[in-house]
Amino acid sequence: MNRVQLRDEIAAEYVLGTLRGRARLRFRRLLDRDGELRRCVAEWEARLAPLDELAQPVEPPARVWRAIASRIGAAPARIRWWQGLSFWRSLAVASTAASLALGLYLLAVPRPEPAVDTVAILSDEGSRPVMVVSWPPQEAGGDYPLRVRMLEPLPRLPARASWQLWMLPGPGAAPIPLGLLGAHRTQLVRLEPEIAATIGRAWGMALSVEPEGGSRTGAPTGPMILKGRCVKVS
Amino acid sequence: MGSIDAPLQPEALSALLARSGGGDRRAFAELYRMTSAKLFGVALRILRRRDWAEEILQESYLNVWNHASDYAASRSAPMTWMTSIVRNRSLDWLRRARCEDAREDYELLAGNLRDEAPDPLERLAQSATASALVRCLERLDEHQRQCIVLAFVHGLSHPELAQQMNQPLGTVKTWIRRALARLRTCLQGAGL
Repeated sequence: MNRVQLRDEIAAEYVLGTLRGRARLRFRRLLDRDGELRRCVAEWEARLAPLDELAQPVEPPARVWRAIASRIGAAPARIRWWQGLSFWRSLAVASTAASLALGLYLLAVPRPEPAVDTVAILSDEGSRPVMVVSWPPQEAGGDYPLRVRMLEPLPRLPARASWQLWMLPGPGAAPIPLGLLGAHRTQLVRLEPEIAATIGRAWGMALSVEPEGGSRTGAPTGPMILKGRCVKVS
Repeated sequence: MGSIDAPLQPEALSALLARSGGGDRRAFAELYRMTSAKLFGVALRILRRRDWAEEILQESYLNVWNHASDYAASRSAPMTWMTSIVRNRSLDWLRRARCEDAREDYELLAGNLRDEAPDPLERLAQSATASALVRCLERLDEHQRQCIVLAFVHGLSHPELAQQMNQPLGTVKTWIRRALARLRTCLQGAGL
């Protein structure tokens, strides 16, 4: 067998996939600097390519594209505010300012008030406390309305939008919708029983602007304008 | 089979590759949308594990993105060019992972292959571009043809083929060498 035939034969086995191991690596290094060999390989690839039709197309999971997109800087899948680390970091900072406000608030609360178990002071972007959410100690079978009290008026709501209150279970976890709020100075939010059962684990609270009647996806979709950590006070 | 009935348009894919080479991420996203199912299928066939195939698919598309501007110089059809990237990376992966033994679903696969018989080539024959190859494959002895399909489509190595065909390693190597030589002559006769 002459040299040209031998080269073509190895190129064919390379394309077929039976040239393996170190031989394959050596061949590839050779390819880098041998245009004639590259032509042999391209010819074999074209000859055998129709066989690829035998592999059934299979839709890859969405995470593959997300990983590729993030590595080439393509428009990444939109990240919700509560999925970003910076949100949770900012919440930790905001709560330091809010704890001062909490002390003042508790001092100012006229007694007797129904017992309070947990308080969250929600602050705006400028760390200004705007709203207090509190609830009584949980008792089996009871119904536990959250008490909401505005310390400052809420900003004007856009047309056809609602305020929606969210419970934040903890960093990275999806917020849980608690209910819609009005602009009144004090109001009660009645919880669904299954949410009431988990409210003791609340880590923080947030208020977002949602379409009228609340988010239709079950997750916050609009801007989050207030946020605060929960503090047990009982 | 969608991909046989509606082959991906080479002109459209070439244009998307050219734009990707110029840094157009939307073109690249479109290229991914049009080709990823097919390339994932190829990787799955060779690697037989979804997690590996996902990994290889991701690496391959990053490679396509980084080298899309070199594509024109390669003078191959766009799908052939992208498929070779996936095939080569899959075969490299098998070598790196030394996972011939990890592919323990191999017997299962052999069963699937028998199900696919009597002739997976029948499916191919429906594709005009493949008809010359099918004609030439049909002229091979049956065991030669099987070796070619198992090696190319399923990524079987020489030792795996020997086991699958229940033949000595040397015999299988000879079959493949002869089969490739005959294919070459036959396809060159058809102008390929």
